[in-house]
Amino acid sequence: MKRAGKYLLLVLALLVALTPVYWMLTISFKTEVDHFAVPPRWLFFTPTLEHYADAFVTRSFGQYLLTSAIVAVVSTLCALVLGTLAAYALARFRLPYHMDRRLSLWILSTRMFPAIVTAVPLFLMMRDLRLLNTRASLVIVYTAFNLPFVVWMMRGFFAELPRDLEEAALVDGDSQLGALVRVVLPLVAPGLAATAVFCLIVSWNEFLFALVLTQTDAAMTLPVGIAGRVTQYEIKWGVMSAAGVVAMVPILVFALAVQKYLVRGLSLGAVKG
Amino acid sequence: MPKSRRSFSAVSKRATLLPYLFVAPAILVLLGLSIYPLLYSVTISLQARTSNGIAWGLDNFVRLTTDRFFFTALWHTFVYAAAALVCEFLLGLGLALLLNRQLRLRGLFRATLLVPMMLPTVVVGVIWRLLLNPNFGAINGTLKGFGINTEALTWTASPRLALLSVIAVDVWQWTPFVFLVLLAGLQAIPQEPYEAALIDGSSPWQTFRYVTLPLLKPAILIALLLRTMDLLRVFDQIFILTEGGPGFATETISLYIYRTAFRFFDFGYAAAMSFVLLALTNVISIVYIRFLQHREVA
Repeated sequence: MKRAGKYLLLVLALLVALTPVYWMLTISFKTEVDHFAVPPRWLFFTPTLEHYADAFVTRSFGQYLLTSAIVAVVSTLCALVLGTLAAYALARFRLPYHMDRRLSLWILSTRMFPAIVTAVPLFLMMRDLRLLNTRASLVIVYTAFNLPFVVWMMRGFFAELPRDLEEAALVDGDSQLGALVRVVLPLVAPGLAATAVFCLIVSWNEFLFALVLTQTDAAMTLPVGIAGRVTQYEIKWGVMSAAGVVAMVPILVFALAVQKYLVRGLSLGAVKG
Repeated sequence: MPKSRRSFSAVSKRATLLPYLFVAPAILVLLGLSIYPLLYSVTISLQARTSNGIAWGLDNFVRLTTDRFFFTALWHTFVYAAAALVCEFLLGLGLALLLNRQLRLRGLFRATLLVPMMLPTVVVGVIWRLLLNPNFGAINGTLKGFGINTEALTWTASPRLALLSVIAVDVWQWTPFVFLVLLAGLQAIPQEPYEAALIDGSSPWQTFRYVTLPLLKPAILIALLLRTMDLLRVFDQIFILTEGGPGFATETISLYIYRTAFRFFDFGYAAAMSFVLLALTNVISIVYIRFLQHREVA
C-alpha cells in the first residue's frame, strides 16, 4: 500500500514534468484549427508537417539552426583546446605561491558573474570592433563563457589520473605536450567528451548574449529566432512549436549521453555523482 | 620510433616554463573577455547622461537611490528568488528521498524527471506560453472543458497572477536540478550511520533529522547556492513569457538592466545597476561558502 503510494507520487511527478513538453509536440503536428479546440485535443488529431515546412523552408529557421550549430561547435572546440591545456597545467604542476590553486579559483570566479553584467560592456566592445551581428562575436563570447567550466571539469579528471603513465612517457623522451596528447588525453577521453557535450548544450541554449549581439537573420541563433516570433503580437503557434521541438531534440539526446556526468557537470565538479 | 633523448636538465628547465605556457592562453582570454569588460563597465557606469552631454561622476549611482522602478525590480527579484528557491528545494528533496531506494524503473524515472531542466529556456518559454494563454491555452481549455469559468485566470496577462505564473514555470523547470544534486548527495551517504540508527531504534523522522539531513548538508548548500545565483540573475524565461509585463508586474533586475541598456540605450545607468546585482550575488555566495567551509571544519 505504502509502496503503491510512492509509485503514484512518482507517476504524478512524471506527468507534471512531461505533459507540457508533450503538449508542444502535439501543437507542432496539429493543424491550426486543432490548436484552438476547446476542450484541447490531447490525443486524437490529424497530424501534419506543414509547420515544420513553414518554419524551416518558407521562413529563416533553417538559417538560425545552421548558425546555432556552427557557433556551438566552434566555440566548444576553442574552449576545449584552451581549457584542457590550462587544466592539465593546473592539475599537474605545483606553482609557487599556491598559484595553481589561486588561478583555478580565479578562473572559476569569472564564471560567477551574472550574464547581464558583462552583456552591456561586451555589446559596446563588439560594436567598436564592428563584430555586432556576426557569428564570430558569439563564438568569442561563448568560448570565454565555457572556458572556466572546461578548466574545472578537466582539472578534476586529470587529478584523478595516476601520474606514473606520463612519467614513463617523459622518461622515454616524449615532450610534455606529447605525453599529454598521446598518453593522458586518451585516458580522460570519456571525461573530455562529457565536458564537450556540456559546452555544446550551454552554447546551444544560450539566450541573453545572442539576443544582445545578433539581431539580423543572417547572424541570429535558433533561440533568438524563436523568441522573436514569440514576443510578436500575432503568434504563429505551429511555427513556434516546430522550431521549439527542433531546438529541443539534440539537447535531450546529448543530455542522455552524458547522464553519468550530469551532477558533476551541473555543479562544476562540486558534487561527484 | 626512437626519439632523441634530451638531457635531464633540459627537461626540468622546460618543465618550469611549461605550465605557464599552458595556462597563459586561457588566462589571456578571460582577462580580455571577463575582466576587461568588467573594468570597462566601471568606466561606463561613471558616465551619466545629462542634458548637456556626458558628465563624469557618481550620478548614476545617486540616481539609483531614488529610482522607484529599480527598487520594485529588486523586490520582484527577491520575491521570485525566495519563492522559487523554497518550492524547488522542498519538491526536489521530496523527489530525491522518494527515489533514493531500490525501485523498479528507477533509472527511467530519474532520466525522465530531468527533462524540464535540459530544455533550452526559450523552449520552456514557448511551452508555457502555449499552456498559459488565457484564451487558447491548454490549461484554461481543460478547465473550460470541466465547465469552470476561466475569465479571471489570465495567468501571465494578469497583473496579480503574472509573477506567480513565472515563478511556477521556474519551479517546473528547475526542481529537477535540486532533485538531481540531492539524490547524488543521498547516494554518497554510507550505510553505517543508518544501521547504527536502526540498532538504536530511532524513528524514521529521527533518522532523517539526525542522520540524513546533517550528512546531506554539503549537497544541500551546493544546490541552494547554484540555484540562488541563477535565480537572482533570472532573465530568459521572464523575457519570453512576459517581457517584464504586464506593466512592470514581472520586471526583475536583469530585465530592467536589459531594458535600460538596449531599449533606452542608457548604458551608464545600466552598468551602475549591474554592479548592484553583482555585489548582491557576491555577498550571498560568500555567506553560502562560509557555511560550507564551516561544515568542513566541524
